[in-house]
Amino acid sequence: MAEPRLIRDYRAALSRQLPAPIAEEVAGGLTETYQACLRRDQAPDIAARSAIAEFGDPQLIVAEFTRASPARRAARRLLATGPAAGACWAAALVTSQAQAWPVPLAARVLLGLTLAAVVTMFTIAALGTRYQLAIRTALAGCVGITALDIAMITGVLLAAPAITWITAAAIAVSTARIIVSTRAVRPLLAR
Amino acid sequence: MRAEELKGHLDALLLAALEGGPRHGYAVIEALRQNTGGRLDLPTGTIYPALRRLEQAGLITGAWSVVGGRRRREYRLTAAGTRALSGRRADWRDFSATVSAALEGRPWPSPA
Repeated sequence: MAEPRLIRDYRAALSRQLPAPIAEEVAGGLTETYQACLRRDQAPDIAARSAIAEFGDPQLIVAEFTRASPARRAARRLLATGPAAGACWAAALVTSQAQAWPVPLAARVLLGLTLAAVVTMFTIAALGTRYQLAIRTALAGCVGITALDIAMITGVLLAAPAITWITAAAIAVSTARIIVSTRAVRPLLAR
Repeated sequence: MRAEELKGHLDALLLAALEGGPRHGYAVIEALRQNTGGRLDLPTGTIYPALRRLEQAGLITGAWSVVGGRRRREYRLTAAGTRALSGRRADWRDFSATVSAALEGRPWPSPA
């Protein structure tokens, strides 16, 4: 028996906003809820309305999945470590008098813009309620922060006349962050 | 009982619903309703994200199975989930006894 349009629309809304396996599982639950309403002798349209009322707003369900998503976990973890990593690099660059290094202005501006973009991406992933957007922005953030850390390490190794212990600490922090963000990518791609 | 009142207890309720053996999402909801005489008023759909969260925390495992031609994801408690459930039960008994003593003006039971 064909399901009423209300149920089909609800399933479609889930499929648009959630990965296929998750949408399939939730839609299966909705179908069972609808069938339980039918077994209580409700007419199909009334059963569909009851099932949807019992199931809850699809946006609420998507928001709950987003809250539990690997994107949010990764974004929050990397955002939380940002100030410490930034402080390490700031100390390293100031004590090494980095303003005198032969780094083109365009490269400095590009690094600053990349950092701003990464923070924006992670903030969207950490606070948003749209699952697919959270996954995409967390992925972009992970790629961006990895590129940024690699650029900082490479730039310092090439431009700094000597590696101080503060610079070594900043390199170690960035290396740890590269490992964390690279590990975060796999669960994001799997969802 | 409304969903807001259950905040903080949903994980323990889901773990308890899985204690009797593996269940899929809808069966978990049915078990919760049966065990509470239908007094739990949760938006059914919010059970699924909570189950995923528990799975990511390693307290339950999920696996797909086919029942009546339809794919379902069945969940079962892990050893860590069983331990977590015991802990949450003990915490709840302690909390419940404390609040009951305060609300009803009963003296706190002295140790035997």
